[in-house]
Amino acid sequence: MNIQKLNLCMDILRKDLGDGFVASCIITTEDGQVLISTDQANIASATILNDATTFISNAMKTYPTELGQYYYIDVAGNMAVLVIPFGNYQWTITINKKLVKLGLLLNVVLPAIINAFEDAAVS
Amino acid sequence: MDGAVKKYFKLIVDNEGMESGSHADKEGVKDELQRWPLFGLSVGSFLQVINMEQQTCLLEVYRSADQQGHFSIVEGVLCKAICGDREGEDAAMEMISWENVRLNIKQILNTSGIERNIEKNLMLLLMESSRRRDEAEENNQIQESKVETEDTEEEELLVRDVERAQLDACLKILTKDMGDSLISGSIICIQSAKVLASYNIKPEAAALFNSITDYFRNAFAGGALGGGLGDHYVLDLKEKQTLVVLILGEYQWAIVFNNAKCSLGLFRNIIMPKVVKTFNEMNL
Repeated sequence: MNIQKLNLCMDILRKDLGDGFVASCIITTEDGQVLISTDQANIASATILNDATTFISNAMKTYPTELGQYYYIDVAGNMAVLVIPFGNYQWTITINKKLVKLGLLLNVVLPAIINAFEDAAVS
Repeated sequence: MDGAVKKYFKLIVDNEGMESGSHADKEGVKDELQRWPLFGLSVGSFLQVINMEQQTCLLEVYRSADQQGHFSIVEGVLCKAICGDREGEDAAMEMISWENVRLNIKQILNTSGIERNIEKNLMLLLMESSRRRDEAEENNQIQESKVETEDTEEEELLVRDVERAQLDACLKILTKDMGDSLISGSIICIQSAKVLASYNIKPEAAALFNSITDYFRNAFAGGALGGGLGDHYVLDLKEKQTLVVLILGEYQWAIVFNNAKCSLGLFRNIIMPKVVKTFNEMNL
């Protein structure tokens, strides 16, 4: 894992989301340890969502199709959370849904950060 | 029972000319009622008065043509009761339990012929009768309550049937709008996990989506993830499928569609508002 490139991933995210960016965290799925986080308060939610991903993955084993690239959760109030599982890692992004268009997040930002993360992971 | 009558009947009753038992039968019901001129007091109250006054008398009780009997009381002590085929305490309890009875009192000139068939004293009989009446009332209340509960359950089932029909109609609208991009749809009552309407989905799969919602609700309830789960979530699935779960009050819509045929943007901006509007118009 290239730490510099990992930090670059966060920079891309901040830049693309602008004022709609709230917090982000990348953790290892096996032990829930934080690789990088923009906000200490966001670590707890990232850990909980790591467990949520495990739950969903296990639950979907009885369904014909598995979980794909991401899941998006609408939160009461102004926030929403995008969770991107990458096998051994998981990226959690909290946004202000009033300021970020979901189309931009899923069609522009998501492919860009996935590429950036995969680049960081293989380096 | 022997011994002469020590005290004679002192209660004021209008029973003149009513000594003949067969007269009433001949004159019909009106005459029968005239034969039992006392009314308005319960059998128990009358017995207590006679007991306190230590009277010796025959108390005749009339409820209807086939429900009548009498008590023999000697010096205030209840000695004998006969009611139809019943005798003794059983007959006494039966007559004490009657309401709206007419009564007649006759003198007993000689008590030697009275064969005692009641050993319990009057107070014990009255208390036992009261206990039986309470039990009977309680049983009646339970029965009534059961009937009411059954009625309520039937009404609820009827309401549920109407709801299901409306929800089925909602899914049909969804099917029509989404065409072949719709893979499956289900509407579940979140609390009971009952599938109320479904399209192309097994109940187990619908329950699975409900369990994911439950998980999110619990996870967000802790406060670490913000102000609680909102009104929807989206799961990107493999094989170009997307699951969108809408939480509308106590109901959950789980819709799986082919995202190559219907984009998430189209779904969220065109389909989803229509689903929410249709659902809200149902006023469930």
